[in-house]
Parts: sequence; C-alpha cells; structure tokens
Amino acid sequence: MTDRSQEALDSMVLLRVAQGDERAMEQCITKFGPLVWSIAKRHVQDHSALEDIVQEAFTDLWKSAKRYNPAIATESTFVGLLARRRAIDFARKESRRPQLEPLPDADSLPHASIESSATLRCESEDVRAALKELPEETQQIFSLHFDEGMTHPEIVEKTGLPLGTVKTRLRRGLIDLRNKFRRLDSGQSPSNP
Amino acid sequence: MKNQDTSDRFEELEAGRILGDLDPNEIKDWKMLSANPSNQADLLLELAAAALDAEFLTSEDTVLPEELLKKLHGGISEFVSAEPKETVIVRPASWQGLLASSKTAWSIAALFAVLFIAKSFVEKTPIGPDDRIVTAPEKSSPSEARDTLISKAGDLIKSEFGGTEKYNQMSGTVVWSDALQEGYMSLTNLPANDPDTRQYQLWIVDPDRDEKPVDGGVFDISASDGTAIIPIRNPLVVTNPQAFVITLEQPGGVVVSKQEVVVALAKTS
Repeated sequence: MTDRSQEALDSMVLLRVAQGDERAMEQCITKFGPLVWSIAKRHVQDHSALEDIVQEAFTDLWKSAKRYNPAIATESTFVGLLARRRAIDFARKESRRPQLEPLPDADSLPHASIESSATLRCESEDVRAALKELPEETQQIFSLHFDEGMTHPEIVEKTGLPLGTVKTRLRRGLIDLRNKFRRLDSGQSPSNP
Repeated sequence: MKNQDTSDRFEELEAGRILGDLDPNEIKDWKMLSANPSNQADLLLELAAAALDAEFLTSEDTVLPEELLKKLHGGISEFVSAEPKETVIVRPASWQGLLASSKTAWSIAALFAVLFIAKSFVEKTPIGPDDRIVTAPEKSSPSEARDTLISKAGDLIKSEFGGTEKYNQMSGTVVWSDALQEGYMSLTNLPANDPDTRQYQLWIVDPDRDEKPVDGGVFDISASDGTAIIPIRNPLVVTNPQAFVITLEQPGGVVVSKQEVVVALAKTS
C-alpha cells in the first residue's frame, strides 16, 4: 500500500470503525484519545470519573460510528460531539441539588440526532477564520473558555465582567459562530449576512 | 412573548445547554420551551461547540494516562462483544394505531405532531457497527436497480403513495427490503421543483429505530420526468418501516421537518 493510500485510509478511521474494524478502533483511541480526555477534563474534575467518561465516550463512538457521515462534520468534530455530550451530562448530573429543578436524566436529554441533512464540515482554518469574524470581546471570552479552559467564575474574576455578561457573550457567540460556519459550509463568506 | 422572541430565547437556552451553563431558572424555561414542537435541539449549534473543542484541544500536547490507554485498548474486545441494547420509547402498537387512520393531511400532521411533541430525542444505541456508511457504487440506472431489487428481495415491502390535498394528482409506489436495506420510489405526476428554492425530502417512519422519522434523502423532480424512480438513501439501518412520508423542504433538506408541506404518504401496514 502506498503512503498516500495509507494516509487516505487513516483519514477514514471512523468509517472503518463503522464497519466493525477493531484495528481501526485502536487507531481511533490513539488518534482521538487526547481530544476526548481534554474535553472531559474541561467539565469534570474527579479523576476516576474522568476515566469513566473517556471509556464511555469511546463506547459511544464504537456504537455510533455508523452514524458518522463525513459530509456532515469532520471526524474530530464528531468525536468531540460525543465526548462533550458524555462530559456535560456527567457534570450536569453531579451538579444537581434536590432543591433545584432537575434536568431530565442524561439518557433522555434531547440531543439532536447525529444523522442529519444539515452539515457543518469546517476544517481548522475555517474555524479560525470564523472566530476572527466575531467581535473582539467575544473572541476574548472564547479564548479564555475554549482555549484556556476557564470556567465562568474564573472568566468573571479575570475580566471583571458580570457572570450574566459572560454567559450571554458565550451563548450568543456560539450562535453567531454557528451561523458563520453555516455560511462557510454553503460556500459564502462568513461575514456575509 | 412573541414567536420570534420565544424562538430567540430558546436558541439562547439551547446554547446554554450545549455549553453546560444553564441555571435552575433557565432549566425551567428551557423545559417549558422545549415542550413546544417548533423548538428543536440544534445539532449545528452542538457541532459548532464541538468544532471549537476540536480546534483548541487537538493542538494541545495532551497524553492519555498510561493506565487509561491500556484499559481502552484492552477493552476493545468488550466493545465488540457488547450486547446491543435498544430503547424503544414509542411502542410499535401505538404507531400502528396512528398509521391505521385515513390518509388525510390531518393524519399525517397528527403523526408528525406525536413525533415532535415527544420530548426525548435521545440517540438510540445502534445494534452494532455495520457497513451502512460505505455505500456501494451504483452500477445501474435507478429503474434497473429497482427491478433487480424486486426480483431478488425475499422480504420486499410494497406500498402505494397517496398525495395530500394539493398533491392529490400524484401517485406512486415504494418498494423496500429490510434485509438489503434498499428501496425505491416510483413517483408520477409529482410537480417539478426548483432545487434552488425547495427540494423534496423523504422520511421513513420506523418506530423500532427512533421516534423521529429517519431521513431518506432529498430529491428533485424535473418537468420532463414522467414517472421518476428515486432511490432511497437512508444513512441509518431501517428495520420496521411503517410509513414513507414525502415533504417539501429547503434546499439540501432539513434535520427535522416542520411538516409545513407534507406531499404524500405511503403506509406499509
């Protein structure tokens, strides 16, 4: 097998996992393990829980790989999506208090279906380009949250902004970014209305 | 609250849910608003967050703990041998009841309403990896492929399409094989669409798989089409199709249909 065809095969690791290829699953763990671990660490502090989440995320990946459609998202985005769901569901469960209104059980959270006609196949350079289009204050908060992994209270402490402002900027920034990705994906400039 | 305000509020709460930062009052609001069928979980928003994580966290020089890595690699055989588990929330019997009603737009709307009112859009655990992702190249015309399917499938399902009020001039059939995961629609007198404005989209109702209809692919009808043979392009395994529904959607199709324009329905039972 040539280097190029090996490279092409490596880039389709999820498709091979979907076919039940155990070797591809090994490659998948090597390739995406650090990403899954990093995402889990962003949301969960407990070390043993972290390990559980990573294992569960890969179990999800094994079971859900056949739902992966390369036309919808990149492999790392798909893996990131599964890891985020596991980690955030765990964190949400952990943060529950009896006096609070509980969210539905993790198993019944209304995640959008992965199989979809919508696409968001943005490569790394697209993500960077779209981020640069965001207002500077949003870029700053995104950098603190997504890049440096700061929690909301840490961002409040660092920036002096009220908590509500931090939350609003993150949420509206994410919505704005989704809209830019969508335009990019349809071949338009991210800055077009 | 006006519809647009409600929609904007839900979108913001959805972003909060995806970011994991909803407070208790917002959770209450989110729960209330998510009961509205028009407020749907937003996959693109979630993918955007995942793309950010992938972008920022992949570049980190992160190494998995050695013990965990061993566990993961050692656990692959457990993944492979794991028993499938399927959570069916809406029982087939209730679907059959729904589908037993008349082929009116109301019955179709009722069907979709039940699908969207259902609060849980949880991902179903698939039976296990298979080869559905890798699509074999099409070797023959849709018409030839359909004929081949009809001749070779031992479990062929065949059903007639009925058009809704505005589309009552159309007729058609759908053939489907669970075993081969292959199917075709044969559609006559379906109005031509402008692909830049609207596209037809097929939905497969399979209560064994999910409470939401499965996307069966978008397709176009041109003015020159007499009877169009359309292959069904299901990205997921369908094992118990109870109905095939055609809607008219935005170009490229949608993740979840708002059933604003339901064109036709074919029931299999």
